[in-house]
Amino acid sequence: MKQLQSIEGPGAPAGLAGRISFLGLASSVLLLGASAISLTGPALASYSPPTPAAFQDEEDDSEDAEEGKKEEEEDDKFLALVGGEIHTGLGGVLRNATLLAKNGKIHSFGYDVDVPEGAEVVDLGGMRVYPGLIAVSSSGLFGGGGDLANSVDPYSQNMTLALAAGITTAVNGNTVAKLKRGHVKGLVVKEDAFESLSYSNGNPQGQLKVNENFQRASEYLREYRAYEEEKRSNKDAKEPSRKGVDDKSVSILRGEIRPRFAANSRTDLMEIAELAQRFGFRPIVEGAREGWTIADHLGRAGVTAIVTPRTRRGKDERQVAEGGSSIENAAKLYQHGVPVVVVPASNGISLGGIVGQDLLHLPIEAGFAIRGGLPEQAALESITLEAARVLGVDYRIGSIEVGKDADLIVTDGDLLHYQTFVQWAIVDGEIVYDKQEEMFFAHIRPRPESALAPEKTVDAGEEGAIDPEGEEEDGDGDDDDEDEDEDEDSEDK
Amino acid sequence: MAFTATRAAWWTPAVLVAAAALTPGDAAALEPMGGGADPGAAGSERGLVVLAKKALPLPLNGQQVVDNAAMIVENGKVVRVVPRSEVDLKELAKTHEILDRSDDWLSPGLIDLHSHVAGASFFTNDLNDMVYLTNPGIRAWTSVVPENSDFLTGSAAGVTSVLYIPGSGTNIGGQGVLLKTGFGTYERMEIRNPGSLKLAQAGNPESYLSGVGRSFMNWNTRNTLQRGIAYAKGWLEYEKNGGDKPRVDPMWGAFRGLFDKKVQISAHTQIYQVVLMTVKMVKEELGLDVYIDHGSFDGWRAAPEAEKAGVPAILGPRAISNSINVEYRPGLFIVNDNDGAIFGMAAKYQEQGHTMIGFNTDAPVIPQEALPLQASMGVRYGLNNDHLEHLRGLTIVPATAAGIADRVGSLEPGKDADFILSSGDPTDPRSMIHFTFQEGEKVYDARDERRY
Repeated sequence: MKQLQSIEGPGAPAGLAGRISFLGLASSVLLLGASAISLTGPALASYSPPTPAAFQDEEDDSEDAEEGKKEEEEDDKFLALVGGEIHTGLGGVLRNATLLAKNGKIHSFGYDVDVPEGAEVVDLGGMRVYPGLIAVSSSGLFGGGGDLANSVDPYSQNMTLALAAGITTAVNGNTVAKLKRGHVKGLVVKEDAFESLSYSNGNPQGQLKVNENFQRASEYLREYRAYEEEKRSNKDAKEPSRKGVDDKSVSILRGEIRPRFAANSRTDLMEIAELAQRFGFRPIVEGAREGWTIADHLGRAGVTAIVTPRTRRGKDERQVAEGGSSIENAAKLYQHGVPVVVVPASNGISLGGIVGQDLLHLPIEAGFAIRGGLPEQAALESITLEAARVLGVDYRIGSIEVGKDADLIVTDGDLLHYQTFVQWAIVDGEIVYDKQEEMFFAHIRPRPESALAPEKTVDAGEEGAIDPEGEEEDGDGDDDDEDEDEDEDSEDK
Repeated sequence: MAFTATRAAWWTPAVLVAAAALTPGDAAALEPMGGGADPGAAGSERGLVVLAKKALPLPLNGQQVVDNAAMIVENGKVVRVVPRSEVDLKELAKTHEILDRSDDWLSPGLIDLHSHVAGASFFTNDLNDMVYLTNPGIRAWTSVVPENSDFLTGSAAGVTSVLYIPGSGTNIGGQGVLLKTGFGTYERMEIRNPGSLKLAQAGNPESYLSGVGRSFMNWNTRNTLQRGIAYAKGWLEYEKNGGDKPRVDPMWGAFRGLFDKKVQISAHTQIYQVVLMTVKMVKEELGLDVYIDHGSFDGWRAAPEAEKAGVPAILGPRAISNSINVEYRPGLFIVNDNDGAIFGMAAKYQEQGHTMIGFNTDAPVIPQEALPLQASMGVRYGLNNDHLEHLRGLTIVPATAAGIADRVGSLEPGKDADFILSSGDPTDPRSMIHFTFQEGEKVYDARDERRY
């Protein structure tokens, strides 16, 4: 975890430059994956996930980390979600199945899952399990000063509320981080998620500059490849000069980072598509309000669109061509092969009273895409897997697959139905939100008795004989007692 | 048309004179422009039969749902909604057009009793003129622009009727007008004018002038209402017993309808103290029909009194609250004893025993097309909708509150054939609205262009 800090703050440009020296996307992904643990050389080859044990001990030095590894073997942490309807996020649904998370990763799920002794078991009573939702744009969820590796408020109200909305990962500024409530470290999944570029018809000078940068970067990369070829036969080959070459543009053309454009008008979208095809990169377009009018172009150019389906804006009356917003935007983009990611109109959490348009209602916004014709599966992916892909973190999150992070939500119904509430949110295999334990929504359609708060299993031999008063087996005696008190209270009412 | 005649009976002389040029009373002048072609619409020889998977007639009392339904529409009116098995489609097809939407839900058109978007723009001062602290003479209908973009989109979301009212900058902003969204002329849009007298009790009028506080606003409101009542009484007395003819005063004209209970007061009233005044002062003390409009914050505390006095509660645009003893803005304190829990306004009113709960948008604060979302959010945040309370809150409840349930708000025999066909629950954001009909006439067809 220490190493992370060295990339951040004043060290950020160094991190960027360092990444450029790696060749190709694959190595960059490896680096990013590994960065969550360690930046030392060997770690790159043997990527292992962060363990809860490591998070608990923030002051770990590298020596201690080795000790931590030993402990890990003895002290594996299991969470079992039993009797749920598992929606993998890939289209598959497993009814009355079990999901087992081990040390923060999805270890297995299905019908023949052995729940090990000592696992934390939650009986879902038929409730649904989905991958945790991803907000590709957010503000105010993490508290702190914006530097998520060093400054977060792990008990911020907004973080709790975002978890209540099912969001387990969010982009803050340009950093992808988990809503790992109760932890101050280990939230960052990836830094420098995008490279923001401006390319608008309203700023021709800016467009020229972007073009020049890509042109120069493209030439440089050609020269560099020629140089590498030549170097094999000629030791004195001269490395091409990087003078005047824009580092960002080089990274983009190498596929190490994707550029993000804020663009809405048909003209701007068309020009971004042309630019991307000319230089060979895959742009992300945020807004894309008139994307439906040229969805085929955008599809061919490999654009990913971040849209707000409810957006309403009339067309420019002076234009003959189609324009303005359309409720069918997401659907038409999707039909033409444009991956669609959905964000609500507001990227914060609002308790001002007006509902349905902030992060608290991310699935509702995806519902509006369905209204416009987007298939339900694509709508689910627009806030899970497709969002993970656009951030380049789909190898860790975004769907329920063995080996991925155990970032999950449990809901009392169809995620995209307006009445559905998140009952539990789980990040890295740890329950970080429980509707019945928080003050916000516990009173709204309280969870039925059959699916009460998680209980510790005791011992394989004593199955079905759990004594709620029993203190011997009770590892977290205090917590459980509190639960019991609350149950009694509710009965009194 | 018949409603013109009844409307004229209670119109104040002043309003009548002013409106005479624009609102001729004869039926011929109200003939739809180029209309009458649609089967089922007024003037068409042919009727319309709509087949639906699920029809929701939503009467105030009685059967709420008919599965595998057939609705017969003639001359712009609903004839009846029955199970499909009870009609002979072959026979009906001779005289009726059959619209087979057997996969769709059929619901009454939705009604929004708090909308500011019938004009050119909310921001061009066309309906929130804050000249006096009470302006009962100002009329919203003078700034209506038919087929504006908000109405076109609203219509595509199933919103067929709105109460277009002045803003809340003053205690009485003026007279609202009840309109149908789908028609292209003012004549056809108008359901009733005045649709309401717009009262705003607190939250905004404080900023009219320094020194304008809660007590003064209550006094000033009562003073205005009582003078208006006196004006109406004076005219009634003159019409009944003769004597000196009272002065015609356009400032007070709307009170004729109010006093006769043909017009209601739509009260922008949100917090407990003033909701209580809505019930106690306006309804019980002064005897005027009133409904809570734009209800939010801790107004639910007065819900038992409102229910007892027969004051419906139309809620929105705020659907939730979790404030605890906060000063929402200078002078506006909200006291909620809810330990930080986030609760739905509608759920709280319901919990307090209120039975006439509806929803409004306050468009453009939230867009006109977001009306159905207000109801689904009410359910999300705790409203029990075992009896379709969420849909009733968009149809029959507001229609009853506004006194237009004889024409709209449900699919009962003889009512206007204002209905929508949707792929599912019309309040579900995922449901597509396929058609919107008003008075048997198709005003929105998503096959041409899906507007929402």
